[in-house]
Amino acid sequence: MDNKRAVIIPLSGRIDSANAHETEERLASELPADGNAAVTLDMEKLEYVSSAGLRLILRVKKSHPDLSIVNVSPEVYDIFEMTGFTEMMEVKKAYRTVSVEGCEVIGEGANGKVYRIDGDNVVKTYKNADALSEIMHEREVARLALILGVPTAISYDVVRVGDSYGSVFELLNAKSFSKILANEPDRFDWCVSEYVGMLKKIHSIKVPEGKLPCAKRKILDAVGRLVGALPAGMGEKLLKMTEEIPDSDGMIHGDYHTKNIVLAGDEVLVIDMDTLSVGHPIFDLVQMYNAYAGYSISDPEIVLRFQGYDAATARRFWRASLAEYIGTSDENEVTEVENKVRCLSYAYLIDRAIRHKDTDSTEYKLWSEGLLSILPTVDSLVFDCGGGEIAQDPDSLDIEAISDNLSAVVDFVNAKLDAADCSPKARMQIELAVEEIFVNIANYAYAPEIGRATVRVSVSDDPLTVTITFIDRGVPYDPLKRSDPDVTLSAEEREIGGLGIFMTKKVMDEVAYEYKDGQNVLTLKKRL
Amino acid sequence: MTIASGLIDLHIHTTVSDGTDTPEELFGKVKDAGISLFSVTDHDAIRAAKTLSPLCEKDGPRFLPGVEFSCRDRGGKYHILAYGFDPASEPLNALVKRGQLLRADKLLARVAYLRETFGIEFPEEEIFRLLAESNPGKPHLANLMIKYGYAITFRSAMEKYLDRLPSAAEYICPEEAIAGILSGGGIPILAHPLVGSGREYLTDEEMERRLTRLKEYGLAGIEAFYSGFTREMTKGLLEKADKYGLLVTAGSDYHGTNKTVRLGETGLPDPADYPSAFLRFLSRVGV
Repeated sequence: MDNKRAVIIPLSGRIDSANAHETEERLASELPADGNAAVTLDMEKLEYVSSAGLRLILRVKKSHPDLSIVNVSPEVYDIFEMTGFTEMMEVKKAYRTVSVEGCEVIGEGANGKVYRIDGDNVVKTYKNADALSEIMHEREVARLALILGVPTAISYDVVRVGDSYGSVFELLNAKSFSKILANEPDRFDWCVSEYVGMLKKIHSIKVPEGKLPCAKRKILDAVGRLVGALPAGMGEKLLKMTEEIPDSDGMIHGDYHTKNIVLAGDEVLVIDMDTLSVGHPIFDLVQMYNAYAGYSISDPEIVLRFQGYDAATARRFWRASLAEYIGTSDENEVTEVENKVRCLSYAYLIDRAIRHKDTDSTEYKLWSEGLLSILPTVDSLVFDCGGGEIAQDPDSLDIEAISDNLSAVVDFVNAKLDAADCSPKARMQIELAVEEIFVNIANYAYAPEIGRATVRVSVSDDPLTVTITFIDRGVPYDPLKRSDPDVTLSAEEREIGGLGIFMTKKVMDEVAYEYKDGQNVLTLKKRL
Repeated sequence: MTIASGLIDLHIHTTVSDGTDTPEELFGKVKDAGISLFSVTDHDAIRAAKTLSPLCEKDGPRFLPGVEFSCRDRGGKYHILAYGFDPASEPLNALVKRGQLLRADKLLARVAYLRETFGIEFPEEEIFRLLAESNPGKPHLANLMIKYGYAITFRSAMEKYLDRLPSAAEYICPEEAIAGILSGGGIPILAHPLVGSGREYLTDEEMERRLTRLKEYGLAGIEAFYSGFTREMTKGLLEKADKYGLLVTAGSDYHGTNKTVRLGETGLPDPADYPSAFLRFLSRVGV
C-alpha cells in the first residue's frame, strides 16, 4: 500500500494514568480508523511516560502497525529500552545538538564542512536537505570498507547541527596529508610513498559483487553524453576506448586526494568514503588528476585554496605519485599514462560543466582544448599498473571465506601439489590441514558477516617443502594459543573443540601464527 | 569436521526470558556441564544470541540460535521452537516483535485492570522491571501485591484478584508461528509435545490430532527427548515422529533456579544410539 497516509502526532509533557485516557481519545480522533497510515509519534517534548502511557503506545502499534517513534529524549528512551519497547517497534532517539560556532574548520568539500569540536572529535556536516540518508549511506560504506581492510574512521554518532545533520568521528591528533605537504616539505617523499601504498592497497581489495556501484558505468555515462558534442569520430573513439577498459572488482575510492588521507597518531587513515565504487584503477587516477590539476586548469589559486599547498607542489606530488604507482622513473612513461588519464578527467569535467550549464568559463574552454589535443595521440586507456599487486598472483587465491568455497581452496592447493610431485599420504595430510584452517576462517573470522581470505602456496626445494599461508582480516585469533586437548580422555570427558588445530599441528611440520597489519596470518609448512 | 561428542541441549532459557542465568553465566555453565552443542530458546526473543554467538565462536561449544514461541488457538496452547533460522530474517523478527508486543500488552492490561478495578497501584519502576523480565505473569503480580501490602498471602492475591482478571484476547496462533519460522529459513519444532494446556499430558488421540494439524501447517519436528518425559513417553514420540515423517530434537527446558531441571538433562542416549530422526535434524542445522 503506497497510498498510505502519513500522520505525525506530537506528544508533550507526561503521559501517565491520570491523562492516558484523555490522550488516547485525542489520538483516536487524529488517527484513521482503518489503520492504513504510517504513524509517527514525535516525542521531542515528552518528558515522561508511565506504564499506562506504554500501554497506550502498544494499542496504537496494534491498530497501526506502521508506527515509528521519533525524537525521544534520553530519559524516555531509557524507559523504552528497559521495557523492551525498542525491540518491539522503531524508536529513534533525539539527536544530540552540536554547535560548530567558532570551531576550527579542518576540511571542506563540495557537500559540507568538517569541524574539530574538541581535541578528540570532529564533526562532518552536510549541506543537502536529505543529509540523514547521505550520512547513513556513508556509514554503511565505511563499515564495508573497514571490514574489507581499508583503515578508515567510522562515525560513532549522528548529531543535529543547525538545521541539518552531522556525523561525529573520533580523530586523535589527525593531520591531513595536505597539511603535511604544506608545512613539512621535507616529508614529501614519505607522503608519496604512504599515499601510493594506501592507494595500491585499496585497489587490491576485491569487493563482493553488488556491494558498491560500478565506476566504469559512471564514466561511460558521462562519455556517452559527450559523444554528440565532440567533433565527428572523436567522441566515438573515446567511448570505444572507455568501453575497452577491463572490468574489475577492485575497490575505487573515488575522491582520493591528500585532504582525504590523514595521519592519526602514527596510523594512516582514508576518510570520506561516500564515493567508494568498484572498477579499474584508472577511475581513481581520473579524479586524482582533477583534484591536483583538472579543476584548477585556469586558476592555480584553486589548488592553494582547496589543498593548502601551491599548484606546483600539487603537480609535483601528482607526477611523483603516478610514477610510483605505475612503478617507473621514466618521465615519458609517466606522461603516457597521464595522457590516458587526462582524456577521462577532461571528459568528466566537460560533461559536468554541461550538466551544470556552466560552459562559458575559461576552464571549460581549456578542458575541451585539452581533450581534443590529446585524444588523437591516445589509442588505448589501458596501462600496466606495475608492482604486481593488481595482477592476480598465480600462487595465491583470494576468495570469499565461506564453507562452500572449501573445495575451490582444496583444488587450488592440490594443483600446486601436483606440480610438486607430492606423495598421496602428504597430500591427504595437507588436505586435512587446509580444510581445518579454511573452515575455521569461514565459520568464525567474520561471523556474522562474510569476508575474504587469501590462500598462498609456495613450494621450495632442498628439502622439498610446501608452505601454505592463510590470511584473513577477521577478528584477531591465534589458534595456537589454545592448549592441546587431552586426547587420552574418553569422548565424554574431553573438552570440546580444538581438535582441528591439534590435528593440523600433528600432520604439518611447522605451524606459525602472526597478527600483522590487521590480518591473521597462519603459515603451515610441510616437507614433502 | 564434526563436533566431538558431548552433551546436547537444544532448549534453554536465560534472563532474556524467564530463566535466571544471564547469557554470560549460562555460557560458563554450559562449558562446565560438558555440553558440545546447545541452543538458547527464550520465549519470543532471540537477543541472547547476540552475546552467545561471539562467545562461542572464540572458544566454546557449538551454539545454535533458537527461540520458543508461545502460541494458542481453540485447540489449546502450544510452544513452538525454531532453529536454524536467519537471525536477520524479516518474517522471523516480525514474529518475535509480535510475541513481545502481545506479552507486554497482556501485563499492562492486567496492571491497568488492577488499578482501575481495585485501585491497586505499584511504583512505575516495578512495572518497568517486570516488562524488562519479558515473561511476566500473574505470579509476578501476586508477589508485587504482597510486597506493597495489597495481599497477605500469595494464594489470596491470586484467588481474590488475579484469577478474576479477564484473559488476553489476542495470541499468536500456531500456523502463524510456523509460517513465520519457515519463511525465516528456520525449522519449526513442537516443544514438549505431550504437554497440553494444563498440567495433564495429552491422550494419544489428542496427540495424533495435534500432529496431523500442525504437520499440515509445515511443522518439521517434535521435541521427543525432554527432561520431563519418561523413556516410555519418548519411545512413543519417536514412533510418532516416524509415522509423520518428523525430525526429532532434545531439550531440557532449563530455566536456571526457576526449575529443578539440570542443563543437558534431555534423556538422549549415547551418540551411537541417536535415532536417525535426530541425526537428520543435526544435519539440517549443519552440525
